[in-house]
Amino acid sequence: MKIKVKLYSLFRLNLKTSEVNYEFEKNIKVKDLIDRLDDDFSGYFSEKLLESGEIKTGSIILINGKNIFHINKLNSKIKHGDIVTLFPPSAGG
Amino acid sequence: MGKIQEFSVLRVDLGKQTVTREKIAGERVEKYLGGRGLASKILYDEIDPKIDPLSPDNKLIYATGLLTGTAASTGGRYMVVTKGPLTGTIASSNSGGFFGAELRFSGNDMIIFEGKSEKPVYLSIKGDKAELKDASHIWGKKVNETTDMLIEEFGDDGARVSCIGPAGENQVMFASIMNEKNRAAGRTGVGAVMGSKNLKAVIVKSDDNKVNYDKESAMEVVRKQTKMLKEDGVTGEGLPALGTKVLDNIINSTGLYPSNNFQFGTFDKTEEVSGEALVEKGYLQSNKGCYGCPIRCGRDVKLPNGRSGEGPEYETGWAFGADCGVDDLNAITEANFLCNELGLDTISAGTTIACAMELYENGYIDKDEFENGPELNFGSSESIIYYTKQMAYREGFGDKLAMGSYRLADSKGHPELSMSVKKQELPAYDPRGVQGQGLQYATSNRGGCHVRGYMISPEVIGAPEKLDPQELKGKPEWVKIFQDLTAVIDSVGMCLFTSFALGLDDYKEIVNAGTDFNYTSDELLQAGERIYNLERKFNLEAGISPKEDKLPNRFTDVPLPDGPQKGVVSKYKEILPKYYEVRGWTPEGEISTDKINELGL
Repeated sequence: MKIKVKLYSLFRLNLKTSEVNYEFEKNIKVKDLIDRLDDDFSGYFSEKLLESGEIKTGSIILINGKNIFHINKLNSKIKHGDIVTLFPPSAGG
Repeated sequence: MGKIQEFSVLRVDLGKQTVTREKIAGERVEKYLGGRGLASKILYDEIDPKIDPLSPDNKLIYATGLLTGTAASTGGRYMVVTKGPLTGTIASSNSGGFFGAELRFSGNDMIIFEGKSEKPVYLSIKGDKAELKDASHIWGKKVNETTDMLIEEFGDDGARVSCIGPAGENQVMFASIMNEKNRAAGRTGVGAVMGSKNLKAVIVKSDDNKVNYDKESAMEVVRKQTKMLKEDGVTGEGLPALGTKVLDNIINSTGLYPSNNFQFGTFDKTEEVSGEALVEKGYLQSNKGCYGCPIRCGRDVKLPNGRSGEGPEYETGWAFGADCGVDDLNAITEANFLCNELGLDTISAGTTIACAMELYENGYIDKDEFENGPELNFGSSESIIYYTKQMAYREGFGDKLAMGSYRLADSKGHPELSMSVKKQELPAYDPRGVQGQGLQYATSNRGGCHVRGYMISPEVIGAPEKLDPQELKGKPEWVKIFQDLTAVIDSVGMCLFTSFALGLDDYKEIVNAGTDFNYTSDELLQAGERIYNLERKFNLEAGISPKEDKLPNRFTDVPLPDGPQKGVVSKYKEILPKYYEVRGWTPEGEISTDKINELGL
């Protein structure tokens, strides 16, 4: 199955990458995706997104625009064609 | 060493051209905290809430916060409080930069302007000397020109200027007051009131720092809180790197990013105009901070055409961008620069143009009304620049835009197309997708506004904890606490952005360290509640009925047509009764006698 990962904020600026496309053999969970991104980007994603294994305050992880906090957090399932959007802690107003 | 307690006030009678000094007793300061709170109390006590806001009967109050000018992190803010022309409610608008701290250094905690000057004047404060001076030669000048001319005349580069531009002079209903050229007390039309008084500017330079507080005990807390702000992901990394414009992609990705006057919840050109684009296109030169700020979210920007200035902030970029359907970051930034120079609130300026675009595209504005100006079609980058200038000078169709979107849409028989609450234009979050923020918009004491209780923080960003944006249960309680805590932060003189990393107990700690007061956390939050209720009381007595606690019908009747939130509507009406109950108000939204007694109003 194929998924698209969109990167914003410090991910995009520091990694000079705005989008990553992955192909997995079977459906995965968000935490599996973070592991894969960590492998490809030297652990940067879990450093920014997680704290003690949970979603860090202010980090935003979306599947098709829905915050995984209200799906099944890091165990939320990602399926073929999904767009995952990642923001490290960010805010404004 | 003594600590902050009583407030020193300059009272400026513009009719008689006199400047006198007085004190506000510590007990009163303790109850209302300074800044927004104390100034609201003075305004409430000294004017009839029913007066015409642009008449000499109105007063204009510059107030520093309880901790302004101390070492408190971000403690440099000042608040302008008056009766607002746009809404008819109490208006208060705060600004950062360095002016507020300099005013406090000079030994003046508050300035009350009353009456109206016969000819244009400005107030000059040099050390202990405060006097009104003729401003005829700077009347008509832009904010940047006024600032440079006054500093030169004053003879000290360290002086700080707060002034209005042509928009304030022309009493544009959403004119701002600007300090250090680019920092704005932006919303609610405080600049129009200043213009109505023929008051062009305040310039201040202190001889020495007269803020009397216990630096040693305060510094201990400041060191701890600075560390918290530096280590927090939002205030320590996200805001310094991308400024508030980091929100463009967040809010668009979550389907809350209004485009074309709130007809849609996403904007397909967001990538072109986002905070990331500002960096990647090379426009961003550096970030900059206000007085005492470890966050430094300000943007120094240079456009390819060589023009440079500050901004755009998230709200500004959205108002002239997505809300007008414009995807040209150059034009958006140029419109922002113009607002700073002319002294206009960027949110109301951009969204009033957006409203006019919808009116025109629906055939409610005649093409002839534009005279020789460009047609107001969504996506027209030419028109956002052209009409921003026109509205500041009230030229051509700009004269109608200068009244704000509600009066414009109402004059065309379609007030429902103004995306405003209590006649002030809404900011950059569609309330259909965030139920708590919708309730906050509807009940905000200064009309449509996000910074009277920033529910986006828990409902979208997840700070201090993540709430489901569509959940209704518990939202009235959250809105009340956010509104009350915000009143505290505004009155203390710190920046609202500190609240991404600091909580009520932290504010209590720094307030107690810097002042002679000894609040518990509950008492401090209750002071915020007192301020909020006082503002409400002013509005009710001004004739703003609780029936005005409402959103435009679009948000309740038309489901969001696109994006991840497709199909949702605002259900604020379902939770408004609970909000009144949580506030201790009557079911009709009036403040109950019990609540008035409890708060000692």
